[in-house]
Amino acid sequence: MKKITMTLAGASGLLLLAAMSTQAQAAPSCGLNNGQAATGEPIKVGAIVGETGPDDFSSAADSAAAYFACVNANGGINGRPIEYIVEDDQWNPEVAVQVGTKLVRDDQVVALVGSGSFVEMSMNAKLYEADGVMSMASACAVSECFESRNIVSTNEGPLPSSVGAAQWAVANLGSQNVVCIGINIPSVGQYSCGWTEKYMTSKGLTGSSILLDLAAVDLNAAVLQAVASGADTVLVNLPAALAAGFLKTVEEQGLKENFKWISSTPLYDADIPGLLGPGWVDVMHVNIELTPIDGTGEDAVNWRAIMDAYAKPEDPRDTFSQSGYLSAKFFVEAMLELDPAAIDRATVTAAIKGIANKTSDLLCGPYYVGDAPTHMPNHANMMVKVVADGFEVVGECTDVDSAYLEPVRAAEQALGIGG
Amino acid sequence: MSAYGLFLVSGLAVGALYALGGVGLVVLNRATGFLNFAHGAIGAMGAMTAWQMAAWAMPEPVVWGAAIGIGALLSLLFGRFVAPGLAHREPVVKAVATLGFAIALLGVMNLLWVTTPRRLSFTLDGLFITLGGIRITGTRMLAFGGGLAVVAGVTILLVTTRVGLMMRSLADNRPVAALLGTPVLRVETLAWGLSGALAGFTGLMFGGLVQLDPTLLTFMVIPVIAAAIVARLSSISVTFAAGLLIGVTESMLALYPPLAPFRSAAPFAVAIIALMWLQRGRRLTFAGED
Repeated sequence: MKKITMTLAGASGLLLLAAMSTQAQAAPSCGLNNGQAATGEPIKVGAIVGETGPDDFSSAADSAAAYFACVNANGGINGRPIEYIVEDDQWNPEVAVQVGTKLVRDDQVVALVGSGSFVEMSMNAKLYEADGVMSMASACAVSECFESRNIVSTNEGPLPSSVGAAQWAVANLGSQNVVCIGINIPSVGQYSCGWTEKYMTSKGLTGSSILLDLAAVDLNAAVLQAVASGADTVLVNLPAALAAGFLKTVEEQGLKENFKWISSTPLYDADIPGLLGPGWVDVMHVNIELTPIDGTGEDAVNWRAIMDAYAKPEDPRDTFSQSGYLSAKFFVEAMLELDPAAIDRATVTAAIKGIANKTSDLLCGPYYVGDAPTHMPNHANMMVKVVADGFEVVGECTDVDSAYLEPVRAAEQALGIGG
Repeated sequence: MSAYGLFLVSGLAVGALYALGGVGLVVLNRATGFLNFAHGAIGAMGAMTAWQMAAWAMPEPVVWGAAIGIGALLSLLFGRFVAPGLAHREPVVKAVATLGFAIALLGVMNLLWVTTPRRLSFTLDGLFITLGGIRITGTRMLAFGGGLAVVAGVTILLVTTRVGLMMRSLADNRPVAALLGTPVLRVETLAWGLSGALAGFTGLMFGGLVQLDPTLLTFMVIPVIAAAIVARLSSISVTFAAGLLIGVTESMLALYPPLAPFRSAAPFAVAIIALMWLQRGRRLTFAGED
């Protein structure tokens, strides 16, 4: 098990020097922003990431760590530094429970911020609720993450991303029949592809799903199934590596021109245009859960400046990194409202639940938490298409049209958020 | 061509991969008694090395050679320096040792190549023939043709050559073969090298035709073992046929929607059914089998 325990106050001086030498173009801004290192009693904050395993889900915690390092170098939480403890669940449910219990019961963290995992949220949701600790997650992929009282994620997960992609295709590509290619995990594939089918049906159109195991070998058969579905549009809702294999098979079969192509967020990765090759330029349209990574808004610029100053050069600058930055920023803003001498789990949980109407150019809508049995503050998204050297925006911020969001909208109405 | 025909052709291409992997396992098991759980990891290391060579813009023959060469080298290293120490242990101990080797190789791969989507492409990917509406790429034809060639080659090796005779004698009765003067270490080393080269080639094919992911390729050994188990780890030709049958079954299940999401279980379902069929009429007694 990899354990990263950082007492960030000690390293803040060195990091600040590094920041001064490398940052001429944009000065990072965070917390009290007073340039004074925090020296008080550390406040323990945790995170659980799926770093070792089929995919690396740690980039949100990397950016949250960078933000906390910046905060610690700039006055901390009214003088108290944040001690950020990041644990790796190794994509193993048993390990996820172990590290969750360690953080909540042994380390007595006041909250979790920046978690990113396929398994952790499902395993620890009840623990967080029982122990009254909030998790401001940043990279959620399973339904339980959005259907738990004490977890709120800044990213929106596969359901709004898939439905948003289908919604855009219906409106802009004239799609009538969408087949969703997802992974055969009920709380991921069935959850997101199932609600995409319901969206299509609700519009009097046709939707279907083809679910693949993560280790699927017969990608050719999946392509043939897509053909047999009669769809005019294929929604690729797969992890990037599996999606690349599937799309390669499509090209081999010469079937690319037979469909319109859309994808959920996993294909929004700087490496993807090169990986897919020139055949997918102007063809593949990808839904993005936050705004583009090369945005020019205040938070977009500040996120990159903080990453350049306080993160490792190799840490990804991706959607989850943006999401981790925002989770950390909103958390710190809530903490700064508290009396530093009275910071404990109860006051922090109450402060997090009190977060309302936070806005950012990295998000399409407001961020809030509230005290509800489910949380999905981020449910509006954008569309980009693959171009030769990256991605180009083709669809501006649009709220997702899904009956799944009815309880979310009711909670928002109660909090006075949105229309 | 009907839908059945399309899925049959598609399944044969997948089955050829299972078959190739299974033949490599059986060759080694016949000569050394090892059920090599590291077969997938060795193939994965070969495929990842090939990807690295391609990323460094090496010519394609070097890329192919690297995959097969690394496979043979890793297998030889284990076979020469670790396996002899376990020669007289029970089969399960030998198998667990190879599992340890697999996990160690996986760790090295995760260290060398951080998790990111990768793709392995070959010149042959762009060549294809159309068979009843489905395109068969050059790489898939190579996997299938390579499998047939390997079956033929290994069968000829085992049946007509002196080395093959020695391999068979080791497989039939190891102590007696050794007493009769079979150079055990030399024959086993050859088997490890041959099996490793096959693992490298299989890993390259899996990496190019399915996904290039070290973890996925490492554990691809599990369905491959199913093909070898159907042949009771002894018959090369039955292993090849079992691999094809598993691939076709897996592909055909896509036509039956209730089972389609579970078709990755096809290798194990086929292996269980085959084993139950093969042991029909046999009973275990206190003295042993009837």
